[in-house]
Parts: sequence; structure tokens; C-alpha cells
Amino acid sequence: MDNELFNIFSQSDKNIDASMLMDYLNGKLSGKEKYEMEKLIAENDLLHDAIEGLEKVQDKKKLQLYVDQLNQDLHRHLQKPKLRREKKRIKEYPWIYLTIILILSICIIAYLVIRQFLH
Amino acid sequence: MNKENYNHITDQELLDRFYEDHNNDWLGILLDRYILLLFGVCMKYLKNEEEAKDSVQQIFLKVITEISKYKVNYFRSWLYAVARNHCLMQLRDRHGKIPSAISETMSVITDEESEKNNHIEKEQLLKLMASSLEELNPEQKQCLILFYLEKKSYQEISDNTGFTLMQVKSYIQNGKRNLKILLDKKINKS
Repeated sequence: MDNELFNIFSQSDKNIDASMLMDYLNGKLSGKEKYEMEKLIAENDLLHDAIEGLEKVQDKKKLQLYVDQLNQDLHRHLQKPKLRREKKRIKEYPWIYLTIILILSICIIAYLVIRQFLH
Repeated sequence: MNKENYNHITDQELLDRFYEDHNNDWLGILLDRYILLLFGVCMKYLKNEEEAKDSVQQIFLKVITEISKYKVNYFRSWLYAVARNHCLMQLRDRHGKIPSAISETMSVITDEESEKNNHIEKEQLLKLMASSLEELNPEQKQCLILFYLEKKSYQEISDNTGFTLMQVKSYIQNGKRNLKILLDKKINKS
């Protein structure tokens, strides 16, 4: 029996190219590319489930729009912990920030007073 | 960060960089690669585009909070498990229980299971696989042979056999699963 029987249980860890995936869903791949993609689908459980779900979307043009929206949401979520870290830093060192504000205030007041005297 | 500059970097490298400096930008590049796939997985289980989009966002949040708590070794498998669990919880909330048609498809061949086969001699394994293949039902056997041995695409198999595309995919997937079960039984016996 052919050695290629082993392929049945091979699991692929190849990175999945999203544009190839879109081309596959839109029927734009050549015969060989299509077979390669289907082999990848059969070897990758995540990809297999994803394809099954993506095929349920009637208007495939919407997919890019959804991806863009989700990408923006993702980066918004990723920014939140950063902002939280910044706030935490301010809470951890309040005297440093108070001192800076105080020095700046004194400088501004001094500038205004000197300006007043000169006039 | 321009994500195109990082196309050559593997998931594992991005994950290592994230664990090194805890910079969320690495996580952003990594998750960005999986947006379409996560949406597809959520669509498969939830069958509703708006719910699928909401679920992908919730999965992002889960990943962002959970990934720092412990070391994830295989990001894709972990992400897939997180996504599926989330969808199954959604379905359970919706129906009160997980539909049986879905729970049956949940058994997947794991990396650990495939490792088990490594100690068996290649020739012996090949023989066991060939005999297990013969025991599959004719549709699953035919589709596995056409796909893996004759390298036919889903469409070509559909044209050759008269099965629908959905049937072809299902025969291949279920055939693989049943073949694995048969093979495991034989390995345990021998």
C-alpha cells in the first residue's frame, strides 16, 4: 500500500495565508493550488472548522469588512491594558508627578510675576 | 507595527517575544493572523454573523487576559480550544445543552495521540492502516483514497462520485476519525 496513507494523519502547522483562504472561498485558485489548500484544510482542524463556517456566509464580500472591523476592535482591546498600566504607574508614584506639577506651576507663576514687574 | 514586516516570523516566535517583554503588539500581530479563522469557527457553531463577530471579540478578550497567566506552548491548538469552548458555552446558554450533532464532532486527533503511533514500525503501521481502511464504509473509503492517494480536489471527487461537496468533506473528515479509531484498536491489540 502507498506510503501516502500516512498523509491521512499528518497535522499541518503551516501558517495560513488569509488572502489564499479568501481566494479559495471565492473559487479563484487554480487546480493545484486548490488541492494544496484542501490538503491543508484536511490536516488542520481549526482551518477545517473555519472553512465550514465561512462557507455559510452568503455574501463573501462582507468577510473583508468583518475582518477589518474585528482588527480595529482587537487593537482597541490591546490598547486598554496599556492605558491601565499607565494609570497604575501614576498611582504608584504620585509624589513624583505632584512634584513635577508643582515645579511647573512655580515656573509659570514666576514667569507671570516677572512679566508683571517688567511692565 | 507594520504587520507585513512580520510575515516571516512564526507564531511560536511571536509568542516567545510576547512572553519575553509582555508587549501586546506581538499578541496583536499573532491574533491578527487568526481573525478570519476565528470568525469562521464561530460561524460554524453559531450560524449567525453578528453573534460570530461578538464572539470573536469575546475570544480576543479571553486570550488577552488568559495568555499571561500561564505559558501557552501551542498557540493555534490553544486558540482553537478557547474558540470552540466559547462557542459551545454560547450554544449551551441558548439551548440549555450542547446539541448532540456538535458534541459528536468534537473528538479530534490530538498531537499526543499521534505520538503514540511513533513507536510502531512503519511497515507494520502501514499494514494496519491498509486493513483499517478496508473496514471503513465504502463512501468514506472511496473519498479518502481519492483525496489522499489520488490527490483529487473536493470538486473532482464530487464530480467523480456524484456526492455533494458537503458529503465529500464529511466523508473525508469522518473517515479520518473512524480510521484513527480502528487503527488505535488494532495497535492496542497487537
